[in-house]
Amino acid sequence: MAGSLLIRFNVAIHRLELAIATVLGRRSPPDGLCLAGVPIQEHQPRPASAFSLKDLLGDGFLWGVPTARRTIERRLKRKFGDPYYIEKILKPKTNIRTCNTCGDDHLAGVLCPTCYKKVIDETKEMQEAIQNELQLTPVEQEVAVLYEGEKDEKPDDFWEGKR
Amino acid sequence: MNQADVAKLVSQLRIKVNPRLRKFRSPGGPEERLNKLRKTVTALIKHERLELNYPRADESRMYAERLISDAIRYGDCHKETMEMADYWLIEKQLVHKLFKVLVPRFANYNTAYTKIYKAPTIHPETRLKAVLELRGNPYPPLLPDMHHNRNLIHNVLLDEAKKAYRTRKYAEIAAKIDAAGQNATEETSK
Repeated sequence: MAGSLLIRFNVAIHRLELAIATVLGRRSPPDGLCLAGVPIQEHQPRPASAFSLKDLLGDGFLWGVPTARRTIERRLKRKFGDPYYIEKILKPKTNIRTCNTCGDDHLAGVLCPTCYKKVIDETKEMQEAIQNELQLTPVEQEVAVLYEGEKDEKPDDFWEGKR
Repeated sequence: MNQADVAKLVSQLRIKVNPRLRKFRSPGGPEERLNKLRKTVTALIKHERLELNYPRADESRMYAERLISDAIRYGDCHKETMEMADYWLIEKQLVHKLFKVLVPRFANYNTAYTKIYKAPTIHPETRLKAVLELRGNPYPPLLPDMHHNRNLIHNVLLDEAKKAYRTRKYAEIAAKIDAAGQNATEETSK
């Protein structure tokens, strides 16, 4: 029993040595595995090949390519248009209306551009003037925007409660 | 099932409230979406008329209407409403404006507090643009006032009703004068 223990102990140590040898140096086969007469081959360093796109992209053999011929119907539809595919006929717009105020045309449901431009320019000027006047003071009263001489046109209680 | 009556928890908003959120492609997630909406609501209350893209205008309109309706319903002494206004209005002078100017203005309104219009776009701009404004703002109106247009049906009907009433009244007065004149002649003939 002692003898087998000793043998097992020796085997374990031998294995440990082999393991250490492989961990430390992979350059040559471990001493026990060397054949007599055969030279030790050093591990060749891998050649550093230049990077080329071919390695990355390949030949394109498996890329997305057409698998079937486009039928003449499909080709004609792409060329000339089809109601279920792609419409290529010019259609008149039926949602144009005339503005009652200025007489210009605009799309239905949307504000007239000329009238809108006038109003929005004036609004922007008024907004600038208001912000210059108020700055960051707490707003506690309604703001009324006056033009020159407008204050005298209306009676005084119209302006009551407004800045 | 016995469903609790939740209809009275929030004031009825007089606009169409979309139950689905618009995410707005915010890279910062829902927090960024809310920040952007906060800026829009603040700007709306500050300037009272804004030009922006339609989806953002539509979304911030819902939040603005809810804020104003809560301010009207609870007033400024209510803690939760004040916290809500403090969150939504980045510039704090507008909290004063909300409770002192907008609440009295909108207190007795039967319509919505905001209005949204589709703004014209110049090619190649294809995104739908909008103008969002508070009602009762001091700026010139975007759409002409058609209340006094005599050709609209409500005015046509009202004018005809007035005419009919007037002719009836004149006929009554004429009848009274005739009756009074006849009595006078009867007395003199007696």
